[in-house]
Amino acid sequence: MLRLLLMVLLFGFLPLPIIIVIVSSISTTGYFTVPLSPFSWRWYVEFFTNWEWIRLLLVSGAIAIVVALVSTTAALLAALVLERRRFAGSGLFETLIMLPLVFPNAALGVAFLGLLGLLGVSGTYLGIVLSHCIITLPFAYRPILNSLRKLDPAIEEASMSLGARPMTVMRTVTLPMLKPGLISAFLFCFIVSFDEATITVFLIAPDVTTLPVRILTEIQESASPVIAAIATFLILFTLSLVMLLERTTGLELFAAPEKDA
Amino acid sequence: MTRTAKPSFALLAGAAILIAAFLTGIAYLVIESLHTGSGWGLDNFAYFFSRSDYVAVLNRTILVSVLATLFAALIGYPIAYAIADYKGNRNFLMMLVIMPWLVSVVVRTYGWVVILGPRGTLNSMLLSWGVIDTPLRLIFNMTGVVIGLVHVFCPFFIISVLSVLLHQDKSLREASQTLSAGPIRTFFNITLPLSLSGVITGAILVYLLSTGAIVTPLLLGGVRDGMLATQIYQDVLQVFDYPKAASMAIVLLLTAFVLVIPLQWLERRVAARVSGRGE
Repeated sequence: MLRLLLMVLLFGFLPLPIIIVIVSSISTTGYFTVPLSPFSWRWYVEFFTNWEWIRLLLVSGAIAIVVALVSTTAALLAALVLERRRFAGSGLFETLIMLPLVFPNAALGVAFLGLLGLLGVSGTYLGIVLSHCIITLPFAYRPILNSLRKLDPAIEEASMSLGARPMTVMRTVTLPMLKPGLISAFLFCFIVSFDEATITVFLIAPDVTTLPVRILTEIQESASPVIAAIATFLILFTLSLVMLLERTTGLELFAAPEKDA
Repeated sequence: MTRTAKPSFALLAGAAILIAAFLTGIAYLVIESLHTGSGWGLDNFAYFFSRSDYVAVLNRTILVSVLATLFAALIGYPIAYAIADYKGNRNFLMMLVIMPWLVSVVVRTYGWVVILGPRGTLNSMLLSWGVIDTPLRLIFNMTGVVIGLVHVFCPFFIISVLSVLLHQDKSLREASQTLSAGPIRTFFNITLPLSLSGVITGAILVYLLSTGAIVTPLLLGGVRDGMLATQIYQDVLQVFDYPKAASMAIVLLLTAFVLVIPLQWLERRVAARVSGRGE
């Protein structure tokens, strides 16, 4: 009994703020308070009829899709070389791919701010996309490498010996077998880019911003209850992506052993 | 034997460009941090440490990050243990961890503003039940920041520990129980030492992420509870002085690495010992 209570408390901690946000979004005050305030859709109406919010949603979605495509492709090609053609610097190359993960995000923000100035793309979407690609590359590399390792080279060899050319082998054998890794890499990059705010706050310009950064400033400035509706929308969106991930690769992939990477 | 074509090195180009851009950014950061009004030198760092408010911010950053790491471990370990120990289908429990983890940090932090804020859920409950007369000040202070950071980064700890626990040899625990060690002794003699590498990895992640966090301290911290990351952000917003911001970012980097590098060394030692490879 005590054990059950402890488990409920422990497991309840993580979903708690999410549940509270969802409940808040359908009340007239936009806050979940006692006594309960009446039910209302008004914050959703406000969200979906405000072009500015919809525009930012589309902007962040577009950035995340481009970032996920670039990072997944770059990671796939790099993993093919690094896994199948060991060379003197391949270990170093892998370390460099993973390196952005061990830098505190705010320091990365300042570094990218300088980098974008150097490249002449400060305060542009191109600059934000480039920065997001750098930080998502490790997230794409891991799952792709894992599925590449599980792939049995004998199948590719069989296909070759039956006369298939390298490109055909890649298209009809290798890529389909890497599909779970590629999908989780893509979804992972998408989520990281779509939600990123800590680094992106350093890279925005007055008319170039992303949805999470805009939400952040909105909470600071006005704390309008419309935030609750937007937040709920994002929660449901993430939930559907997690479901998709569960369907395609299963969630245990998150707990895959890291040691051999 | 192998007749699969060797992939060309040209395929590394995409990743190489991203790595080159990253290294350029870091190199530029280091160089600019040494850029002073008159030339080059350590003046920016001397200025940082001469300002008592900045030093206080630095100390607070370390304190808050260490506290967040400790609480994340205290909450995260039992959760990871419960998931690993669960006999049935783990997917639902994994979902309870992964789902909040993937929801935007901004959204989750907003959730805590709604719960703990002066007009928030908890205060409204306590007020209406007559437990308190005036709203409690639960956020806009250090407590709020620690609660927020623990919540936001705890899943990283859980997943690090879980990835070790799930691949632990269960027969070791059974052997210990058969040799009549109680569950508590088994835990402290077998399970915990064997999962130590996961604990260290998780602690490194939570500490690193906490030192670099901006969203949570910005939304849940008070004006006087800034952390180094938020201080850098606010300074950049007010006056754009890149060398100064760069030097503060370097201080932040060193703050993180000073603790992380020894921990990583320890983790490798532990991992080598546990796996019996004793490298």
